[in-house]
Parts: sequence; structure tokens; C-alpha cells
Amino acid sequence: MIEFFQQIINGLAIGGIYVLIALGLTTVFGILGIAHFAHGSVSMFGGYLTFVLVSVQGFPLLLAILVAIVVGLGLGVLIELLAYRPVRKASHINAFIVALGLTMMVEGINLELFGHEQVVIPTNMSHVFNIGGVTIPELRLYAIIAAVGLIIAMTIFVAKTKTGQAIRAVAENRDAAILMGVNVNTIPLVVFAISTALGVCAGVRVGSLLAIAPGQGEGLVVIGFAALILGGLGSIPGAVVGGMVLGVTEALAAGYISSAYKDVIAFAVMILVLLVRPEGLLGKAR
Amino acid sequence: MTFRIKYIVYAAAVALLIALPQIITVKYYLHLSILALIWVIMAQGQNLIQGYTGYVSIVGAGFMGIGAISTALMGIHFDLPVWLTIILAPCVTALFALAAGYPSLRVKGHYFAIVTLAFNLVIFIVLMHWASLTQGEAGITGIPKPAGRDFIVNFRDREVYYYFVFIVAALATTLAALLVRSRVGKTMMAIKQNEDLVGAIGVAAWKYKLFAFVISAMYAGLAGAIYAHYQSFINPEIFGVAQSLDAILAVIVGGSGTIPGPVIGAFVVVFLPEYLRFDDSFRLILYGLMLVLLTIFMPRGIVGVTQDLWAGLRSKR
Repeated sequence: MIEFFQQIINGLAIGGIYVLIALGLTTVFGILGIAHFAHGSVSMFGGYLTFVLVSVQGFPLLLAILVAIVVGLGLGVLIELLAYRPVRKASHINAFIVALGLTMMVEGINLELFGHEQVVIPTNMSHVFNIGGVTIPELRLYAIIAAVGLIIAMTIFVAKTKTGQAIRAVAENRDAAILMGVNVNTIPLVVFAISTALGVCAGVRVGSLLAIAPGQGEGLVVIGFAALILGGLGSIPGAVVGGMVLGVTEALAAGYISSAYKDVIAFAVMILVLLVRPEGLLGKAR
Repeated sequence: MTFRIKYIVYAAAVALLIALPQIITVKYYLHLSILALIWVIMAQGQNLIQGYTGYVSIVGAGFMGIGAISTALMGIHFDLPVWLTIILAPCVTALFALAAGYPSLRVKGHYFAIVTLAFNLVIFIVLMHWASLTQGEAGITGIPKPAGRDFIVNFRDREVYYYFVFIVAALATTLAALLVRSRVGKTMMAIKQNEDLVGAIGVAAWKYKLFAFVISAMYAGLAGAIYAHYQSFINPEIFGVAQSLDAILAVIVGGSGTIPGPVIGAFVVVFLPEYLRFDDSFRLILYGLMLVLLTIFMPRGIVGVTQDLWAGLRSKR
């Protein structure tokens, strides 16, 4: 039983990463209708950047994360302006192919800048909490707390602030939003900036909890989309539920079945849900 | 382009491809040409689902892998003749495609792409880890070439294999051309333009989507089988997502939704890296940039640009 709870805790820590990735994807998809496939690779760029800042430049961890987040905000703006804006009026397939191209580019840039070695962001948190036989490393605990904080912040931002209101208005009805005086040219920039910053946070978590390696971004973004499909497209609660379900399934699969096939089992869950409930666990029936 | 000139261009292209082994003096280029022809089969399949039906599938390489492994395994374990396994391999692939396509096609647009990509990852992981079946990373060696020693032609000869692949690629292209001209093909194109409307006039769109998906998988399986017998060795490592993206690139570069497009795209995708001998990471950046720029500035590919130029020339006259 303790083994079981241990796997659940591990699953929640991993699931937190998926939730953060899925949150970035769901805001871009829900509001702009773009499947931002490069998100995972851009997130890994953030993780690599934090690693370089901490271990090469000697920045303190929090400062490095902050710098990486600011870079992420800028990167998101650039991606929207240079890559997605030109194909905004074309068919959805074009935006998706642009996304695939971007993924290849960012993966290549990551390889050029940071090499083929896998890296781990050094943290000096080695304390381990022990609650009734279930062990939680300090780092994982903080990671879970940070993810919860980001989810709450994101929800409040979208629900309560003026910009959040404008974002929801554009998602609901673009033309009506224009008539109401919402600047629909800046909204995509804001959305991409936030989404990329969330991605950077996910990248930092991957880098400190697991390790960053080439190609990992692509794997992560697929799991992020799987989380969205599982939870229901375009909704924040859906992304949270989907990410957590995938994380826990994966941890249980790795613990009890085989770690080589953990992704296969996560995708099998997604496909099963699609067969029974194509709109996702929390999605509205179409 | 006018009817007549179009067919003159096609005939010239076919003549060039037939004469190619005689023109090429460097053995290596003959090898690349064989690969390019195998990619023509692959890209024609990808074009049917991506270019004509409007669903970007990212599982091409996975199906190619299934085709390659199944033809090899049927030969090894059941001692079936090579010709039979090459024909059976696409059928095996079709079974997998049916199983994968049914749930994938329940989601639309981007999400279809993502789900198929997940399938590619699953196929890749299984091929790499199920070592007792596929030998894993070590790969399967000693896959025989078609036909026996007693026949007049010897498939160990590269030139002979070139013509074999050429015939298959030509048949595959012709079949694709016939298919898109048929009623089924028209329905596929209608789905690309407006799926809701197709449903509204009482056509079960999902049947046509599944059909296009399975056919495209069979093309990939066939390409994989021919590849396996050509190389005599297969390592599942090459059937990853990157290869599926190459197939998408081939269709876009050549001209998606056209029959000559994938042919041109296949040759570009195979020959371009040879002329741009950069390291892998730089190649990724360049390919990605190409994909982005082409989609923004040249969404109809080489065929589309040629058509526009031709139309421009004619109107000036």
C-alpha cells in the first residue's frame, strides 16, 4: 500500500509537469485555435537556459528562473509575430505545418546551443520528507506547490483581470470583441507570451526533477496534447485533470508494469477515452 | 497548364526516370535515386490523406516500419516467398491502420495530427523495445532480395532494383491519380473543403476518412517493405517521428493536393540533405525554416509556383 501511495506521489510530481505544458497549450488552442506543437521544444529551451545560467554563469536558482521566464515572454511574442501571424488567415493545416517547422527549428537550435548531453539543473535541495512511510523529496514537494500556485494564478488571471476578460472575449467571438474595442492584434501576443512563460516553468521543472535531453520537448508536447484531449479541449480544469491522470497512470505503469512502456500505456488511456468520450473527461458534449 | 503540355511534361519526366540509371555514373547517386523512388510511394500515400483529405497524419514512418518489419518477419518465420511478403506487408499495415484510424478520426484537425503522432511514438517504442520480435536496436539482418538466382534478372543488381522500384512507384502514382479522379477521391476533397457539408448531404464522411487513412498507410507499408528488401537490413530507429515529418515536408515542398507534387517532393527530400552536408542539428534548423517559409510564402509548393508562372507567361503573350 505504501508502494502504491509512493507511486501516486511520484505521479503527481510528473503530472504537474504535464499540467504546466498542457496549460500553455490549452490557452493557445482555446483562444487562437492553434495547435502550438513547438511548445515542448520551446519549454526545453527555457530549461536549458536556466541550466546554463545556474551552472555556467553562477546565477542563483530563483534569479535564473526569473530571467528564463522573461526570455520566455519575449520568445512567445516573437513566435507569434514571425511564425503564426502570417498564416492566421490561412487554413488550420498551414498553422500546424508552421508549428512542425518551428519544432524542428527549435530542436535544432537547442542542439546547436546546448549540445547532445542530457543536463540536470543543480539545486541544493536534498531534504526528504517522510510522511507515514511515504517519502517526498523536498524538491518534488516544492514543484507540486509551485504548479498549484501557477494554476491558481492562471485561473485568476483569465477570470478576473481586464486582459483576461479581453482574452476570453476573443476566444468567444472575435468579431464581437473587435466591436467592443478589444485590440485583437495584441491579444495573441499576450497569449503566446504567457503560454511560453508557463512552458519555461515546465522546462525548469523537467530540468530539476528529471533531466533535459534532445528530443524530449517533442515527447512532452505530445503528452501535453494527450492531456488536453483526455481532459477536454480548451479548458483549464480539463488540462489539470488530463495532466494529472496521465502523470499518475504513467507512474503506476512504470512502477507495476514496465518503465519502457510507460508512454504506451499513457497513450492507450488517451485512446480509450477518445473511444468512449471523444469530447474528453471534462469537455462539453458536441 | 494546357492539357497537351501537361502530358508532354509527364512523358518527359517518365522518360528521364527510365533513362536515369544510364545517365548516372556515380553508384551512390543510383542508390539515392532508388531511395527517392521509395519516397515517391511514401509521399503519394501521405498526399492522399494530407493533401486531398486535409488531415495531417504524422504516423507515416510508423506504418513504414510496420511494413518493413512484417515483410522481414514473414520471410524469416513462415518462409514465405519475397514477392508474397511484399504484397502481404501493406495488408498487415492496413490492419494496424484500421485499428489506429478508428479512434484517431474521432477528433478533427490538429488533434487528429497529435493522436496519429502518439501512434507513431507507440509504434516506435514497441519496435525498439520488443527485442524478441524485432531484434530492437540491433536490427534485422539478411533480409533477402526478391526473386531467385534462376531468373533472368538479378535483383542484387542495383540497376535492376531501380527499375523494379520505378515500376512500383509509377503504379502507385497512377493508382493515386485514378483514385483522386474517382467519386471516392472527389468525396475526400469535399471533406477537405467542408466536412460538415459532406455530412449534411448524407455522406458518411468517416468512412471516406478511414479509407484515405488506411490507403495512405498501405502506401507507407509498401514503401517500408521495398525499403527493407533493398537494404537487406532494418533498424527500427529510422521509423521515428522525424521520418514522418520528412514525408509531410515532401508533400508540402512538391505541392500538396497534386499528383506530380509528391514525386518532386520525394526527390527534394532525399537529395537535398546530400547537397547540404551540415551536421544534424543545423539540418533540423534549415528544414524547419524551410517548412515555415514555404508554408507562409509558397503554400502550394513547387507545382503551384510552376503553375502560377506558366499562367503568368501565357497571359502576357
